Amino acid sequence: MRKDDIEKLKKILGPENVSDNLADLYVYSGDASVHQAMPNVIVRPNNIEEVQKIMRYANKRKIPVVPRGAGSGTSGHSVPIDGGIVLDMKRMNRIIEIVPEDMLVRVEPGVVDDDLNRALSPLGLFYPPAPASSRIATIGGEIAANASGVRSVKYGATRDYVMGMKVVMANGRLVNLGANTRVHSSGYQLERLIVGSEGTLGVVVEATMRIFPIPKYRCLGVANFDKLEDAGNTISDIIAGGCQPSMLELMDGIGIVAVNKALDLGLKEVGAIILFEADGNVRSAIDYEINKMKKICEKNNGYDIELSYDPKERQRIFGGRKKLFASLSKYKDGIICTDLADDMGVPNSKIAECAKKIHEIAERNNVIMAVYGHCGSGVIHTKIMLDPKKAKQWKDADKVIDELYDYVHSVGGVTSAEHGIGLSKAPPWKKARKDIIPVMRAIKKALDPNNILNPHKIMDAPDDWVKATDLRYRVGR
Amino acid sequence: MVKKVKFKRTKKWESELNKCIRCGYCYELCPLFKSYNWESDTPRGKLLLIHGMVTGKLEPTQEIVDKIFQCFYCKNCSDNCSAGVPVTDIITDARADLINAGFDVQGTIVEIDEDLCSVCGVCVSLCKYEALKIVKIKKDKQKIEVDKIECRGCGLCLSACPSGAITQKEGCNVTLTELHTTIREILTNEDKRLLVFACNYSIFPGMQLSQSETIVKTPYGVIVTMCSGRVAPELVLDAFEEGAWGVMVAGCPPEECDHDGNYKTRRRLILLQRMLKELNINPKRIKLEWFSTGESAKLKNSIEMYAKELDKMGPIKAYAKS
Repeated sequence: MRKDDIEKLKKILGPENVSDNLADLYVYSGDASVHQAMPNVIVRPNNIEEVQKIMRYANKRKIPVVPRGAGSGTSGHSVPIDGGIVLDMKRMNRIIEIVPEDMLVRVEPGVVDDDLNRALSPLGLFYPPAPASSRIATIGGEIAANASGVRSVKYGATRDYVMGMKVVMANGRLVNLGANTRVHSSGYQLERLIVGSEGTLGVVVEATMRIFPIPKYRCLGVANFDKLEDAGNTISDIIAGGCQPSMLELMDGIGIVAVNKALDLGLKEVGAIILFEADGNVRSAIDYEINKMKKICEKNNGYDIELSYDPKERQRIFGGRKKLFASLSKYKDGIICTDLADDMGVPNSKIAECAKKIHEIAERNNVIMAVYGHCGSGVIHTKIMLDPKKAKQWKDADKVIDELYDYVHSVGGVTSAEHGIGLSKAPPWKKARKDIIPVMRAIKKALDPNNILNPHKIMDAPDDWVKATDLRYRVGR
Repeated sequence: MVKKVKFKRTKKWESELNKCIRCGYCYELCPLFKSYNWESDTPRGKLLLIHGMVTGKLEPTQEIVDKIFQCFYCKNCSDNCSAGVPVTDIITDARADLINAGFDVQGTIVEIDEDLCSVCGVCVSLCKYEALKIVKIKKDKQKIEVDKIECRGCGLCLSACPSGAITQKEGCNVTLTELHTTIREILTNEDKRLLVFACNYSIFPGMQLSQSETIVKTPYGVIVTMCSGRVAPELVLDAFEEGAWGVMVAGCPPEECDHDGNYKTRRRLILLQRMLKELNINPKRIKLEWFSTGESAKLKNSIEMYAKELDKMGPIKAYAKS
């Protein structure tokens, strides 16, 4: 990029919304992943026209543009590996309209998930996907990653909520995708194509999302297990048994120790716990669901099962789960938690086997891995915990990733269930999905011929994630 | 010019800095991020910059140092970090290393205009962190010096200075001029009736709701000041002049204020109430209440009840706009 490019951007947005100051460039060089790469400039548009102008200019000058929400992604989606412009969308954070009669909401991409829910709750409504990062995650970012969360087992992922959207394409043209109706059969479902595209196909500048009424009752259960395998089997039995949990979470012993250390929750330090929840408007129906799940827990050696309708108690138990990700760094001194191999998805029947396999592979390769996640929807979260200063540990991590994903793919699982591919998950994903890479490249080429939108991600990401960018840690020998 | 910094004090934090998983959950708790909206103003951003400098990936420059010196020490980030990273302790040590290397900055630190300062020392006795000191510069001349490592930017001294000699940098919505503008915006443009000054240290996280641009309409506006002790009397009077029906100041309970500013607020507001009475204005137009961290539900109820009370009272006649 040239100096006059930055001057031009300042003319478009005003100098206060453009920064090439070293402090800003360094901070926007990373996200929650292990990667780091410096952009040339950060810009903060405030409306659709500004985004269009930026895209038109960048396309003409062939400058990479990396859209960014909260920067809470875990796979390096928003790490600008080719430099260029970081398009910080957080200023476009207005809720345009809430339409309860059509059960939809129109928002700008920078609206924070929790803010949206705060605005909806006085109307008795909510936006369900809620990833654990909902307190900062933006709707635009959630669309880009097809985020999902604890309630996705019943309510689905972001893609199930997108009705329509406005997107600025690579050449600056504005397109209106989807519809205001719950279903449409009017041509290609292009709004779905944008979901999960990680900013590589267009910039979402407005989204129309479905919303739901808040259920009248919620009941949360916790069950303890001595063996992780029993907990895993319980999950598959609950789903196969036709229960309808609104949440079905697993946390292994490592995770329990970590949240206890970090948050002093006083959870029993057992092999694993399961959190299960049922919600709805008819109390007897919830009683029926929750007891059915309780019985399945007991059948699989679950014990000390507690059930609670009390929101405060539910919050106390659930709070630990929401903060587990960061708490893992507290597990052991000298060991830190890295966002690697963090969200594979496997068929429900393979949860127990996969959980066991993860611990086995971790032990063989000298790293620690916690197993937790929204296992009801098939998502297993792990984190590789290692000593970042030792170069060998990064090789260990690479081996773990290789072995683990070979297993996950062999049982019909997916590389990423809810965080996206980005940079760090690209190598195993590319290995498993050779068939669709040419199709994806053809789509990318058609929509972004100059390859300026978040280039070199997903199918075009480097084959070695360790060397793809700088690692954000100081690695010794 | 690039200055060589040894990071003697900060070096020990490298493993803690590595523990920061960069989840970014600290954003929503940071008043500075709410003011500037740049990620470099978040606790995560500051830790990244410090990590970069300590590990030698980043050479300290004035612009980086400026960011490190922007922090009000509300500690919402350290208190809520699940990875247990002691954010503000790390920032303090980095500040010390940078000052020792010869960097000069203002950030959120207060500045004293020597031409206006009469060295009365009121501010010195106020500051709980002993960040202000009277020093001798010549035989018969003294001045007040600010310890840039210890100053928390709470602004207590600023609102107490009889000469108006203490200032803070504009941009964080804490200077008197900025606060006057916000008061006007809330009362005139947004047409609110009740103005709430809420302490950042105990209340801010619970008040995200009212700070959000996207929130449902309320009859009240909230201004998050730093310590409640920085609510200078003229700000309250200014609110009345701009058409407020009432002003509520929400501070930390006695014994809980990090800066002992709440006692000062109390005294100040009692005096103001007396003054209102003399002007034939109901002293209940000013309300002071205490809230601990996490008591956002109590705060919300209090505000709503006070709003109802004010509805009965109606506008202040003496200030009623024509």
